[in-house]
Amino acid sequence: MLEIIKTILGKKPAPGIVVPDCEIEKLGLRLRAQVSTVFGRSLAIREMDSGSDNSAEIEINNLSTPHYDIERFGISFVASPRHADVIMITGPVTRNLKTAVLKTFEAMPRPGWVIAVGDDACDGGIFSQSYAVLGGADKVLPVDFKIPGNPPTPLEIMRGLVTFTAAIKKQG
Amino acid sequence: MELALTGLITYLESRQQGSRFCHGAGSEYYLHIGENAIGEATGWLAGRQGMSLIAMWAARKMKKAGTDLFYAFNLKPSARILIVVVDLKSGRVPSIYKNFPVAVYFERRVSDAFGLEFDDSPDRRRLFLHEAYPPDFHPMLESCTGQPSQCVDAEPGSGYVFKKFEGEGIYEVPVGPVHAGVIEPGHFRFSVMGETIFNLEVRLGYKHRGLNKLAEGKTGGESMKFAEAVSGDESAANACCFAMTVEKIAGVQPSRRTWELRTLLLEMERIYSHLGDLAGMLVDVAWPMGASPFFILREEILRWNDVLTGSRFLKGFVKPGGLRGDIEPGKLVDLKRYLPSFARSLEWALSGVEESAWVIDRFETTGIVKPELLAPLSLSGPTARASGDDADIRRSHPYGIYGELRFEVPVKTGGDVLARFRVKAEEIKASVRIINEVIVTISDGPVWLECLPGSGQAVSVVEAARGRNLHWLRFESGRIEHWEVITASFCNWLAIEHAVIGNIVPDFPVINKSFNLSYAGNDL
Repeated sequence: MLEIIKTILGKKPAPGIVVPDCEIEKLGLRLRAQVSTVFGRSLAIREMDSGSDNSAEIEINNLSTPHYDIERFGISFVASPRHADVIMITGPVTRNLKTAVLKTFEAMPRPGWVIAVGDDACDGGIFSQSYAVLGGADKVLPVDFKIPGNPPTPLEIMRGLVTFTAAIKKQG
Repeated sequence: MELALTGLITYLESRQQGSRFCHGAGSEYYLHIGENAIGEATGWLAGRQGMSLIAMWAARKMKKAGTDLFYAFNLKPSARILIVVVDLKSGRVPSIYKNFPVAVYFERRVSDAFGLEFDDSPDRRRLFLHEAYPPDFHPMLESCTGQPSQCVDAEPGSGYVFKKFEGEGIYEVPVGPVHAGVIEPGHFRFSVMGETIFNLEVRLGYKHRGLNKLAEGKTGGESMKFAEAVSGDESAANACCFAMTVEKIAGVQPSRRTWELRTLLLEMERIYSHLGDLAGMLVDVAWPMGASPFFILREEILRWNDVLTGSRFLKGFVKPGGLRGDIEPGKLVDLKRYLPSFARSLEWALSGVEESAWVIDRFETTGIVKPELLAPLSLSGPTARASGDDADIRRSHPYGIYGELRFEVPVKTGGDVLARFRVKAEEIKASVRIINEVIVTISDGPVWLECLPGSGQAVSVVEAARGRNLHWLRFESGRIEHWEVITASFCNWLAIEHAVIGNIVPDFPVINKSFNLSYAGNDL
């Protein structure tokens, strides 16, 4: 009994997590509003690494960590392209991954969009001259939107998503 | 000269095999031998206690036609590396896998790049060149200047034969290259009976970007971006190792302050990398709440990285000869002030894990790496230290100011997920103490010296978050002729194939995360 009372009154498991980022909140609320109107409350993203140096994945993963917690704004990262509205592609497209990239894209239901994240995905970046790389994501897929950066920070990705959803809204 | 090396030279003489010895630009030894002495030299080395093959690569000869083959050995207990150089004549070489099993993996890599044949190798499948490349395409040959002449549109996997296991109740689970989570691509082929894995074959190379070819003909400074792109979360380690190699060739000793600040970056990188691993392991045993404090701390460290260098991944800050900028003393004072609260939060988060019986239950005895695998597979880093090996490049081959620092190298013996969790947790604490010491004792001075490498070659090794990263460079008149990089992930991936045996498929994610190896750093 005492233990139970202690647990209730005692120190909570997450003391003092202060998230002072007003910008995240502001951006998040805008994102929330746009996702609600344009995508019917939720936007499902399938991340696809086509040959990045892995820092872009880390930043995309960070969107789901406590400081950002992007899911509360209606964005979710899904396990299958069949559940996705958007494919987020990172890295230049390597020769070895071309078929996998195409298959992933084809598995996405329509309407669907492709967002290239990071300099390498946007135009091949430092890899564009390599024998092993076909170029930026747009060499293989119809890219609708680009978020440059080496890698773009979580905030930059959020800003990109706000602009992306606004652009889709305009298209109607 | 080391005793072991003298012994080898004498032995080769007694077998009527000539050899030529020379010092490298760094602290490495080069021993040139003929093609037909490979078997005898490696056989003799295999008989030495603690001798392991840490890397193997090939490079075009300087100013001549032909190829040199390099075998790098850890000359324990010395801080030097022995590089056996073979002057290739025929293009056919004996495989040395019987003495050094990990060689098979290296030989496949060299085969892809140069088209060399390794006689009696048990595995001659291509490694990083998949079905999309024509069979006669070998990117590192001088004759190869651009794209493959034809692009093969083969179905992936069509030309690659996995080991086949057959019998009642045995089935295969193919996973990847595209995985369900936000992670890098690779293929895992499980052979399973009931729920128990009895074989795993990992096929990587999907992310092969041809990095070392890109650096050919460039200057050291121009190629820093390639070194940083080897693996995004090892940018500082690879940048420092690459820059250090260029500095050795140029004969430049960076200032003390340069190395103090580099050490700070290297340890910040180790901290954020390990924090991500700890969080990931907890997520993979379905405890996201326990993972959150680690994620929060990692985000804070990434933000500190941004404050210190302008990049959350410490990119673009290191260059040959020093750094691209200084870090203001005020920022260092602030960082030092932050560290105690970081350490407190870390302790609190860790105690939450240690007090959770169900987490320990999932971690303990899961994914064991047996100590007898360490040397044959050339394993390093936390992977090796969780299985009882106390090897740490910062201590065994000190670079920069590491020789003067006192720091603990945590070692566990369980070899399981729990041991790797605890090793990484303790390494974070050790790194915090190193950063603290560096800030307290930091010296003044320039953070850059002119660094103009002419011609020459050198090797460097560093202890990255995942283990031993090796860079080897050959310069010709200030331009890179060959750059070789072998990260810890390359060998450590082999450990996973062994660690999962006897475990159930649902435990694979947490086992994989406990290593958290880099796909990009492996595929290059």
